[in-house]
Amino acid sequence: MTGQAIYMDSSLAGGTTLSLGRQLVANGCVTENQLDRALRKQQNDHPTAGNNEHLVGRTLVDLGYISQSALLDCLFSQFSREREAYRADTGETPIIHLKQVVKILDGRRVLDAIDIAIPAKRVTAIIGMSGGGKSVILKHMVGLMRPTQGEVRVGEHLLGALSPRQLAQVRRRFSFLFQGGALFDSLNVYDNVAFPLREKTDWSESVIHDRVMRCLEEVNLFGMERKFPDELSGGMMKRAALARALVTDPEILLLDEPTAGLDPIIENAIHYLICDTYMRTRYTMVIISHAVPEIFRWCHHVIALHKGKVLFSGPSTEIGQSRNPVIRQFISGDIDGPIQVI
Amino acid sequence: MFSQTIDFIQKIGATFLENIQEMGRMFLFLWDVALSFVTPPFRWTNLLKQIHFIGIRSLFVIALTAIFAGMVLALQGYYTLSRFGSEALLGPAVALSIIRELGPVLSGLMVTGRAGSALTAELGIMRIREQIDALDVMGIPPLKYLITPRVEAGLIIMPLLTVIFDVIGILGGYLVAVRLLGMSSGTYFGGIESAVEMRDIVTGLIKSVSFGLIVTWVCTYKGYYTRRGAEGVSQSTTSAVVMSSVLILVCDYFITSIML
Ligand SMILES: Nc1ncnc2c1ncn2[C@@H]1O[C@H](COP(=O)(O)OP(=O)(O)OP(=O)(O)O)[C@@H](O)[C@H]1O
Ligand SMILES: [Mg+2]
Repeated sequence: MTGQAIYMDSSLAGGTTLSLGRQLVANGCVTENQLDRALRKQQNDHPTAGNNEHLVGRTLVDLGYISQSALLDCLFSQFSREREAYRADTGETPIIHLKQVVKILDGRRVLDAIDIAIPAKRVTAIIGMSGGGKSVILKHMVGLMRPTQGEVRVGEHLLGALSPRQLAQVRRRFSFLFQGGALFDSLNVYDNVAFPLREKTDWSESVIHDRVMRCLEEVNLFGMERKFPDELSGGMMKRAALARALVTDPEILLLDEPTAGLDPIIENAIHYLICDTYMRTRYTMVIISHAVPEIFRWCHHVIALHKGKVLFSGPSTEIGQSRNPVIRQFISGDIDGPIQVI
Repeated sequence: MFSQTIDFIQKIGATFLENIQEMGRMFLFLWDVALSFVTPPFRWTNLLKQIHFIGIRSLFVIALTAIFAGMVLALQGYYTLSRFGSEALLGPAVALSIIRELGPVLSGLMVTGRAGSALTAELGIMRIREQIDALDVMGIPPLKYLITPRVEAGLIIMPLLTVIFDVIGILGGYLVAVRLLGMSSGTYFGGIESAVEMRDIVTGLIKSVSFGLIVTWVCTYKGYYTRRGAEGVSQSTTSAVVMSSVLILVCDYFITSIML
């Protein structure tokens, strides 16, 4: 397998069924005319911007055709319709596939022969008890950890069989939000977000600047770009790290607890941001979350883990009906039940 | 009793194997770093930053060590040489000890203490906060990005620091010999000029380059493979400093014995 071939299959995932602007028109959020005008204004303002779809929502807001919250609501209701229509067994090949993966860490079987299939271009949530191996699973998906047994596939690539160079190519399709943010201490927020662009693209500094500022604005960190990571609150750090994950326009976005430790308003805002990003870009997203049951509204597919095994894997609309006592306890948060914590 | 003995032997064996493994890993690490020297891309700004970091950080402490090392050498040397009535050899005695031994060795030790420990701690923190993993996921080889410029900087900066040490050390000797003990400066410097050969300087420089490699290799290795949180960082920092100091002295002996 050559590097060329890897590049080619990464482009396979492009092309969404209905553009964002079309969706807004179809949902009656804006008129055909307004969309036309917004697209034209955008052409004038950002003649160099590659994919105009990313901007059209903002331009519509700027022109006053729709308010920011109405735009988000519109996107969310569109997302909800898709979510309800989602069926797990479509027979599509999953984009990431963990087959019979066993991982032993310090003598403990953290993953016990699990099978996980991440559907392409969908939002998947992974839930489970703290210490249940969720972060470990995410690290397997990008080859940061190797399975003790079993195999991990991304597209048609078997991660274990790739050379370091090929692995690096596959990794370019990913963005990873680490649980702790993993911002570089020696760089300020701006440089942190610009970092992957400076290292991986040959874009000019002004193009990079535009893109970084847009991402910072999206996560509501405008004006914070000169601060260093140790001067940020936990929530700001998470959002800066999220901006760094979004800036490279990845094909697959892995988010390890994007909302943990944040206040409910910011948590909600981040859920909207993720949904908004998904609707605009159709990335494949995998989100680890403790925000049960809210997270079920924001994802198509749910995977529930317990003691290194998969308890549930299916549409988020179906997990509520699960009869499994562990899942029921997890959703309700009861102290009584099969999971004994006290 | 019997099983205790077995246990004991087993422990020794396990420790021995662990150490062999660790050595193997260290040499593989060095090999990877050496390979990365010749693979593009070359990040010059990174290298300059590291040269600045290692050099500036160590400059003051090296100057301070050098001046006192030179002074004490002159004092001791004068005391010894005057017993045999050969005070005139003080200049060469000071200069040769500094250029051949003390310059490279003390510079190496000072750089270890000052910059090496900082290298380990910095990389260790990057490791435990998953920043190294973050680089990896971005498709940027962390070894090439983080380690290569640091080792290269060590190779470049150590000889420079050693030369600075040599000059300041000889001047320190001059302060004591000429200003304090009343020797003529012509005798002091003249003796140095006639006694120091190119070979002495080359020996000193070979040592300094080797020590630069040892310091950056050991310290980056220990930092890069840090585990177990904040305590792990402090452990790797300590062991990096101890190990590179010991290695410097061991290596010094072997280079001296080869070059004599
Ligand atoms: N590098 C490692 N070395 C040894 N053990 C590890 C390592 N990483 C994780 N573990 C162990 O694997 C188990 C699962 O860890 P993991 O971080 O995946 O949990 P998690 O499901 O993400 O929990 P949380 O929700 O609290 O983040 C834990 O028991 C942890 O101690
Ligand atoms: Mg985790």
